[in-house]
Amino acid sequence: MPAKVIVRDLSKRYGGVEAVCGVSFEIEQGEIFGLLGPNGAGKTTTLECLVGLREADAGMLEVCGLDARKEPREVKQRIGVALQSTALQDKITPREALKLFASFYRERADPAVLLERFALTEKADARFDTLSGGQRQRLALALAFVNNPELVLLDEPTTGLDPQARRELHAEILQMKRDGHTVLLSTHYLDEAEQLCDRIAIIDHGRVIATGAPRELIARSSGSQSVTLVTKPAVMAEQLVRLPGVKELRCDGTTVRFRTEHPTETLTALAALLAERRVELVELVVKKASLEDVFVGLTKSTAEGEKS
Amino acid sequence: MSAFTEHFGISLRLHFRNKMALLYGYLFPLIFLAAFWVLYRYDKVPLLRHMGELLTVSVLGGACFGLPSTLVSERERGVWRRYRLAPVPTWTLVLSTIVARYVILLSAGLLQLGVALAVGMTMPAHPVDLWVAFTAVSFAFIGLGLVIAMMADSVPAVQALGQCIFLPMLIIGGVAVQLASLPEWAQHVSAFFPGRYAVEALQASVTGGGLGASRFSLLALALTGAAGCVAGARLFRWDAQQRFLASAGKRWIGPVLAAWLAVGGLAEWRGRIALAADAPEPAIKVNLPPVNVAVAVNVTVEPAKPLPLPPPPAPWEKITAQDIAGLDYRVPPDGGVVSPIAPEDDLPEDQTKTEVDGVRDGLIDWPMAKTADDIQNVRYLLCVAAVPDAIQMPVERYLPRVVYNHLIDKYPKEKLTKILTWIVLHPEDGAAVDSISDLGIDGAAGDPSIVRERSYLYAIKFIGRLTGKFEP
Repeated sequence: MPAKVIVRDLSKRYGGVEAVCGVSFEIEQGEIFGLLGPNGAGKTTTLECLVGLREADAGMLEVCGLDARKEPREVKQRIGVALQSTALQDKITPREALKLFASFYRERADPAVLLERFALTEKADARFDTLSGGQRQRLALALAFVNNPELVLLDEPTTGLDPQARRELHAEILQMKRDGHTVLLSTHYLDEAEQLCDRIAIIDHGRVIATGAPRELIARSSGSQSVTLVTKPAVMAEQLVRLPGVKELRCDGTTVRFRTEHPTETLTALAALLAERRVELVELVVKKASLEDVFVGLTKSTAEGEKS
Repeated sequence: MSAFTEHFGISLRLHFRNKMALLYGYLFPLIFLAAFWVLYRYDKVPLLRHMGELLTVSVLGGACFGLPSTLVSERERGVWRRYRLAPVPTWTLVLSTIVARYVILLSAGLLQLGVALAVGMTMPAHPVDLWVAFTAVSFAFIGLGLVIAMMADSVPAVQALGQCIFLPMLIIGGVAVQLASLPEWAQHVSAFFPGRYAVEALQASVTGGGLGASRFSLLALALTGAAGCVAGARLFRWDAQQRFLASAGKRWIGPVLAAWLAVGGLAEWRGRIALAADAPEPAIKVNLPPVNVAVAVNVTVEPAKPLPLPPPPAPWEKITAQDIAGLDYRVPPDGGVVSPIAPEDDLPEDQTKTEVDGVRDGLIDWPMAKTADDIQNVRYLLCVAAVPDAIQMPVERYLPRVVYNHLIDKYPKEKLTKILTWIVLHPEDGAAVDSISDLGIDGAAGDPSIVRERSYLYAIKFIGRLTGKFEP
């Protein structure tokens, strides 16, 4: 099956600032693809070039088999978009907004069905300015579905929402996948990307620095694990730093944190040290690297590379 | 339903849900109407002579403040950015916004007209022409509103830009202050503002010769409207982050300014600045044959009334004491703005005294007052008091007494009272002058109906003095 989205060497400058530089990725039919990166990394610019809000300076953009730079209007017929913050007129109602936006497309979904699906039936005739943040964002998602889109693009859809509203929105996004939609999601929440996305592209300083499934990226990372222990009394840092494999050691009173690439060897030496010093081990936690560790590691190395 | 129809419908619905928009769109025009009604309460037909100004103010407010405020606030909120994600052409949404605004303006205009009719105004002379003129005025100002919307980066900027256009148009553009009351330089400046042509086109349809008498005004409105709409479309911005000064299309302001300059230049070139030539009232200008004098005087004669013709007026000799007693003596006070008369002990000074003396001396041999028709002679003499009052000249309060003294010197008291009464009972008959420059007073009232109204008021005041009802 052909890829739903193909982005090759996308570049976009704002004056002297290079917002996006040679970004490339592909999204397969039916997957949730995440664009992950810190604020200002170039996620939104990439997304805006794809949906036709900004004109790319260079690169190839293919969406649903169409050249998005040459046929933006036709591409718009086939995609649904929910922006970071969708504000409508204060006095418009969800029912009116869905009817209005549906009139813009050839293919039109039934507003009543969308209201039901996005749990807005009770608020169908309420004015926009009386809706909560979560209800507004659900309406933004409903608007993205007024044309029964082949591809749904969501730009940081959960930013600013409370935990309950975020959970509801996550459920909606997973439902989209179950319904067979392809979803492109930009976010700076690592847990969100890890939980929702089949694949992600980590983007930093306008460049894609890694692409793959979250688990693959974690596995591909250095493999170091984080160790946290609490002792009574505290152990001297000079003794711990001599243990085999210990890196990035941080001591805070009786709590010690470090990373190691050889956890078995390090922990054996640690146990011997504690026994020898008659120090009681109160708590010990060993964790595999998370997406956060991967992300921090990659973006840190990009920044260091640029400095050097 | 199509995108155009749906967006048109929602634009109207949202307008009627917005309390502030209703306040500015409907209540303010009515407040203006009430203000004009109070200000010109001595007009024979309430508001009839001011509908051009009133409707222009309504359209100007709705198009230059209402339209851009809505567009810019929606752009600031991100509504238009969201619209841009849809596959609908820009022109569809802009056109539906414009048509919705036109309907809003039309409803405000109809409300204003309806209230004016309810307080005693007569039906406009050419209702269909009035609708066409209103449409042309709306088109011109909606174009202007679009340009303001695209220039302003925020709603406060709309207010600032709108005021920069609204206030000059009101004060020196011939919209709220009648051109006849403005100094000559301001009359030239007004030719470069579309407000002047809006008032002319509308007023010509209410009391004048209709569209045929306002072809130049309609052309001027069409030109400024087209330039505004084209520039507004070229300057169109979807996103609040796009700033006007940073936009590539800002040079499109040039054609808008060029259209205003072209209209003003054309008006100057065609000699349309002088009021007598382009007054909103239809006027047939004739040169009366001079009688024993070298100076020909322009006289403005109103066209004949349409059928059915009124019964022929009774000769003034048949005026009875009941006729005189039955007149309506409720007139503005002598110390007011309308039809003032200075007290006997209030003597003019300097330049004004020179002008008053010049008129007093000039009246002795003034050819206009030396015809065989006594009624017409008195009517012209009343104009000598009425014209400066209509123009609001400094000399206005002193000349009525000069005219009054001249009249009582020239005619027996009883005859004069009857002639004045006959004029009051037949205010539309005969001829009136709108300028007394041959008596040394420069300027023209422009609108002969104002001169006739002021003549009527002075005739009442003079009758009151002759019959002892008023202080001498």
